Amino acid sequence: MIKFRPFFFALVLATTVSVTAGAQGGKGEKTETFIADLGDRALQVLVLDSQTPSERDEAFRSLLSEGFDLPLIGRYALGRYWRRATPEQRTEYRKLFEDFIVETYVARLGEYSGETLQVVTSRPDDKDTIVTTEIVREGRPAIRVDWRVRNGDTEPKIVDVVVEGVSMLLTQRDEFASVIQRSGGSVEGLLSRLRDKNSE
Amino acid sequence: MALSGLAACASPGGEPSQIADPLEPVNRVIFAANLAVDTTVIEPVATLYRDVVPDPARDGVRNFLRNLESPVVLANDLLQRDIDAAGVTTKRFFINTTVGILGLFDRAAEMGLQRRDEDFGQTMGTYGIGPGFYVVLPILGPSSLRDTGGRFVDYYFDPLNYYADNTDRRNITLARTGLRALDARARTIETLDEIERTSIDFYATIRSLYHQRRQSDIRNGSAPSLPKLDLSGDSEEDRTASLED
Repeated sequence: MIKFRPFFFALVLATTVSVTAGAQGGKGEKTETFIADLGDRALQVLVLDSQTPSERDEAFRSLLSEGFDLPLIGRYALGRYWRRATPEQRTEYRKLFEDFIVETYVARLGEYSGETLQVVTSRPDDKDTIVTTEIVREGRPAIRVDWRVRNGDTEPKIVDVVVEGVSMLLTQRDEFASVIQRSGGSVEGLLSRLRDKNSE
Repeated sequence: MALSGLAACASPGGEPSQIADPLEPVNRVIFAANLAVDTTVIEPVATLYRDVVPDPARDGVRNFLRNLESPVVLANDLLQRDIDAAGVTTKRFFINTTVGILGLFDRAAEMGLQRRDEDFGQTMGTYGIGPGFYVVLPILGPSSLRDTGGRFVDYYFDPLNYYADNTDRRNITLARTGLRALDARARTIETLDEIERTSIDFYATIRSLYHQRRQSDIRNGSAPSLPKLDLSGDSEEDRTASLED
């Protein structure tokens, strides 16, 4: 089962095939287009049938690191423990986190494979834009997915995905906090768990 | 060092992002036991149920059970003073019981009357009562002090339970609870497997998911407060450090 993971991810991102960005002015429209565009490019990766699973995994990883602000997500997921981490720990954590998060996002968003994503609306929220989308499923209620997009200096990046009110980022942070607390407040405890997990 | 202050500022929109868990050691033991029962009995049975019973039949079972829950949903709609929702619940009940053949088909949803689940835990939530603390119930799984209390109250909102009690047919209640659990489990096999596989602390992940989901249910899905990515409290050097890559 596990070796089919990349296919799964491919299917997830295929949900974004028929993205239709609603017409709105200014920044919001740009951000909606960004979410829609990411889906299109995800499809292109999917179409390349000749790729081996590991090649495809790599392609999605680069797509993920392009579309998501992984350094910021990682920083936030570590919460207050970021400050306790030594520079060496931070460097290692960033690397471990990226490997870990790719696998996690693939798995957790994977169940929406083969569905259609529609942009519903967007609104500014502080320095971010929240793009609300719906995953439309045949004969079943639509699933609401909100994307928190940060408009950086150069280009927008996704910082959080909220599925039916459940934030991927918050879930991750709660989990990491628990692991650290259970190892007596040591960041090393988390790093060691991540190392083990990633080498599974 | 304002480390403890940083922890506090992590809560989005005034809602505490984490649920208190003073019983964590006990909860973890029950969680592990539940997991063992799930792996050895519940998940295999749910998988069998899903593989043997065709989709339309399982949908029929679920629709039927949900239709039976209508009085509980209605009571909570009313207690939440949500007249529109109470109207939808009532219409759904009459349409599905008649046109939907005793609730086997969700014809109301096809007419645009979508089901929305309500329970007394949510009702208390709308009155501003917090979850109290996290509780893992044997077999039943994640809950909170508030939501466990809510379950008891909901029991008394349900006419079928009175009927079962008064006529010594308690196995109706048991069968219904069992079937509902089986149906729910059969629909989350892959999801839960994936979450477990990608977790480094499955217990903490489920706890977080439960809490977030309940908060969202109480708000009826509207998300006025997505978690803020607020790094305030960081010194400027930290902020720079987190962005240089």
